[in-house]
Amino acid sequence: MAVTRYALTSDPSVSVEVVSASLACCTLEVQAALNSGALIQVPESDAGPSVIVIAGTVTDALVPSVIELIHAHPGSKVMSFGACATSGGPYWDSPPVSKGIDQFVEVAAYVAGCPPRPDAFIQAIQELLSKRVS
Amino acid sequence: MKHSFIALIEDKCTSCMLCVRECPAWCISLDSHTIDVTEEGARRPRKVNVLDSFEIDYSLCMYCGVCIDVCPFDALAWDEHRALVTTNREDMLLGIVELGPSGSS
Repeated sequence: MAVTRYALTSDPSVSVEVVSASLACCTLEVQAALNSGALIQVPESDAGPSVIVIAGTVTDALVPSVIELIHAHPGSKVMSFGACATSGGPYWDSPPVSKGIDQFVEVAAYVAGCPPRPDAFIQAIQELLSKRVS
Repeated sequence: MKHSFIALIEDKCTSCMLCVRECPAWCISLDSHTIDVTEEGARRPRKVNVLDSFEIDYSLCMYCGVCIDVCPFDALAWDEHRALVTTNREDMLLGIVELGPSGSS
């Protein structure tokens, strides 16, 4: 599981640790956002919050792993990236797909879209950071 | 045009339900009632649908644009809103007012 610290290019004073759970196609948008130039990679440190990005379809079989991942990073915020993680998305009527990770864990930010655009990811990170700062 | 938001132009909607039926994610819900409109010189009142509620659940929406394509009255359109990021899942259910095109408000 890739854990990397990023700061906003526009405001490098605040950084955020990004744990990306790559479950399905939404991951491509997260990768596009991380490499878009709006975020810069900064050295590892203990300061600043940690964000776990759940990007993709969470099947019932994957739920224990997702919960385990989130519990392995106590104090971190969960971002539900895309329709699948938020509500099951286009698979909402499929029996083996969970209807949103907020049934199992507390979610700090929901990002709409199937997939959401990369700038939606940046916007979500900004909102999570501003909440921390204020 | 950015595919970042689907806006509803309320005046153009005739509550025909085509978007609701065609949406692959079934994320649109619509409610309406019918009234009689009597026009001068007409032989009988005309039936007109009145839109009561129109909701898009953006936690399900795929931004595929099928609803925009099938709408015969161009009541749905791509719009330049910012991407939707919320802290609450209920906030993703947008009604008539929130779905208004960005130029109108």
